[in-house]
Amino acid sequence: MKQILKFENVIKRYPNGVHALNGVSFEMKEGEFISVIGPSGSGKSTLLRTINKLITISEGTVVLDGEKISDKKGKALRSLRRKVGMIFQNYNLVYSLSVLQNVLHGRLGFMKGFKGIFGIYSEEDKKKALSLIKELGLEQFAYNRASDLSGGQKQRVGIARAIMQEPKLLLCDEPIASLDPSSAKTIMDLLKDMTSKRNIACIVNLHQLDVAMKYSTRIIGLSKGKIVFDDTPDKLTEEAIEKIYGTSYENLMLGGEKSEKEDSFNCA
Amino acid sequence: MKKKIPLIAHDLKKIYTIFAVVVVVLFIVCTILTNFNVMSLVSNGDAFWSFITNDFLPPKLPKASRIPGVLSSVLVTLALALSSTTIAAILAMFVALFGSEKVSPFPKLAKVVRGFATFLRNIPALVWAFILFSSLGIGTGVGFVALCITSFAFMVRAFVETMEDVSQDCVESLLTVGGTFPQRVSQAILPSCLSGFLSWFLYCVEVNIRASTIVGMVGGGGVGMTLFSYIKNFQYDIALSIILLIALMVIVVDQVTNILRKELLK
Ligand SMILES: Nc1ncnc2c1ncn2[C@@H]1O[C@H](COP(=O)(O)OP(=O)(O)O)[C@@H](O)[C@H]1O
Ligand SMILES: [Mg+2]
Repeated sequence: MKQILKFENVIKRYPNGVHALNGVSFEMKEGEFISVIGPSGSGKSTLLRTINKLITISEGTVVLDGEKISDKKGKALRSLRRKVGMIFQNYNLVYSLSVLQNVLHGRLGFMKGFKGIFGIYSEEDKKKALSLIKELGLEQFAYNRASDLSGGQKQRVGIARAIMQEPKLLLCDEPIASLDPSSAKTIMDLLKDMTSKRNIACIVNLHQLDVAMKYSTRIIGLSKGKIVFDDTPDKLTEEAIEKIYGTSYENLMLGGEKSEKEDSFNCA
Repeated sequence: MKKKIPLIAHDLKKIYTIFAVVVVVLFIVCTILTNFNVMSLVSNGDAFWSFITNDFLPPKLPKASRIPGVLSSVLVTLALALSSTTIAAILAMFVALFGSEKVSPFPKLAKVVRGFATFLRNIPALVWAFILFSSLGIGTGVGFVALCITSFAFMVRAFVETMEDVSQDCVESLLTVGGTFPQRVSQAILPSCLSGFLSWFLYCVEVNIRASTIVGMVGGGGVGMTLFSYIKNFQYDIALSIILLIALMVIVVDQVTNILRKELLK
């Protein structure tokens, strides 16, 4: 499988002196579904945002699809960003626009001049957006304002927008943190399904260990800006979990009973 | 004696007490400094009242031949306020894009833009009017520019804040799809901030209706100028009916903008 992403000794210092990433190195291949877990403030969001240069790294290199993202500026940066879809905890939709318009935003990176500015999309793009909306079960909402939707539905619009970009890599920053358990499952199922069908690599920041175990092909554990675990879900022992969260296993509120966790091992 | 149970926290009570004392002291200090005693209004009441009852009351209509002129001067004031606010709003929208670190393509310049707007805004429209009248001469055009400058500066600040409240998240998402700055503006910032912008615009129209009357009095034309000419000729009774007309105009505009603003919130 082809390599899609490489981190080499990446360091991120914020201007206030916080070391959010402290020498992070890993590689990612096509078809992988990686969950990043770790306590709040361990640098998960920072890690994700350095990949499409929403945050600029201080040292090291990030190579995306064979290109070093740190040298990229302007047009080159935009076309590299196009390859990376992103899904946010707060959905980040334009709520005064329709669902269809929000989904079509995924095409903006491909459009030039006034067509892009005024949102004059090709019929082909519109057809594609509508079929994607249908695939996500939102067809009756295509012309509703995005603000009228429920949280789970908004997140599905977010997914559709990212998929419209035809990305090679999908980044999800706590995509289910604001959702109820049932919508959360729908979203995770959709993410897994859409990315594997389209051969899109996927990185998800998660708080729920059981979800990480169930869906990912690989788990990266972050603690204080360092990778302290990087392996398949079945290798995530109690000991490893304690190392990531820096506290004993009993002090953690985990997503399910132990027996259920074993179930999810089998599913995964 | 039993101690009464206090209703509010001790600290809060102390703050209220201090506040009351400060107000009284300030009043006394100001009275001494300005040599103006509120009581003189009461003791000189006779002269004051006779001025009101003899000179102002009852309101008298201007000569019939002058009425169309008076009405058209009201229209001039309205037009002055509306057009200056509109032009200012359009300019402010462009400039505000560069006044927010989170939105502007040149985040380092954002502070400069905001500082400039704050500076302009803190000079009242009336002062601008005087400055411009003395350099460019009297006229509606100059009144227009004076109103434009202050409402432009005000709206830059207001628009920047609206943008920072509303659009940071969706701007970020359009960054990740590889959108250009104009695309981010037209597809994310404008749609999500438009109702906020319009609501500030309407507020500015209200403010400028009043301001354009005053700018008119010092030479900007419109109903302010008409009012001032009657006052200068000691025709206070006619002036009163024009004052009532101005009040009516302001009330009507406030009502209309209020209704529009409520519609916007829906
Ligand atoms: N813009 C910023 N400026 C300064 N410090 C930041 C900024 N963003 C995050 N941090 C700090 O960097 C660390 C990692 O944050 P983050 O990547 O958001 O962690 P996580 O997503 O795992 O909760 C935290 O200590 C946080 O306070
Ligand atoms: Mg985070």
